[in-house]
Amino acid sequence: MKDLIQIFIADDNGLLREGLVSMMEEQEDIVVIGQAPSGREALEDIKSVRPEVALIDIGMPDKDGIELTRILRQDAPEVKVIILGMIDLTDEIMQCIEAGAAGYVLKETSFDHLVKVIRSVHRGEAFCSPQMAASLFTRIAELANERMPKIPPGSVKLTARELEVITLISEGLSNKQIAQRLFIETQTVKNHVHNILDKLQLQNRLEAVQYARERNLLKKEK
Amino acid sequence: MKRSNEKIKVILASRPKMLSDVIRNMVEHQQDMEVIGEVLDPIELLIAAKEIPVDVVIITPLKADGKPRICFKLLEEHPFLKILILSAEGKTAVLYQSNIPAIHIEKPSVQAIFQTIRKSIQ
Repeated sequence: MKDLIQIFIADDNGLLREGLVSMMEEQEDIVVIGQAPSGREALEDIKSVRPEVALIDIGMPDKDGIELTRILRQDAPEVKVIILGMIDLTDEIMQCIEAGAAGYVLKETSFDHLVKVIRSVHRGEAFCSPQMAASLFTRIAELANERMPKIPPGSVKLTARELEVITLISEGLSNKQIAQRLFIETQTVKNHVHNILDKLQLQNRLEAVQYARERNLLKKEK
Repeated sequence: MKRSNEKIKVILASRPKMLSDVIRNMVEHQQDMEVIGEVLDPIELLIAAKEIPVDVVIITPLKADGKPRICFKLLEEHPFLKILILSAEGKTAVLYQSNIPAIHIEKPSVQAIFQTIRKSIQ
């Protein structure tokens, strides 16, 4: 039992589940230690029997495969989950990866392929089909794009007054002190700060100072 | 009527592939049955049924609502053929035969499915 890969199969298709159990048991290195027809039962049983690898159908009633994977990552992180999906959808694959699945296998692939994925995931490898790899690259590109500055450098022009305000903020002055220094109302300073943050799409004064400092926009003291 | 030593010949027209592999394995575990072919679409199935002597066709349509149209065509051309329609989600199984009312298999387990097939062939 020690050298066998202990697996659990959760699928509401009784025939497929029974068939997979029977075929898995014909493999020399795999043993099925549990099976369940629903997400809820699978969750309870997996937490109790702690298989090394769990095959989970994505579309089970009462708790789908993605939700189940997310819970298992918290409650039984050592269990490696392989999701069995019907359709090759980028969003679905991404949700599975984000939920913590170690692999995603389409039911349109063969049983032999599934066995290879189980062995690979059991060795600690994350299984990645060409489709999954493409989805991952797309998502990484999207995330990288989201992290890029939304405002291209040089495309935003701050007024001379706004640059004065940022410079004084960088010296640690409050709005009231800036107002006194520039002989304007405190509310006017607040408006300038608001406009600066709005133009630069930044969250706070510190970010504005950092932005100006990185671009040598701060006015030098005379 | 089949001779007692003759195996029941089965053609699989099932999708997805994983389910097809499972059904093939189940059939191969029955001593009196054998898979003689596997087809991917209805056209291939019609051709195969014409060319190969077959007793049973197991079809898993993606949408199992009512009798698939291909059943009418197959039974018209091969009146001794038995057609088992399994829903892809595995919840329903119906055996269609020519001039005999369809047999609905309650809770289609492996055992129930193959017993129904055997009875229909006898």
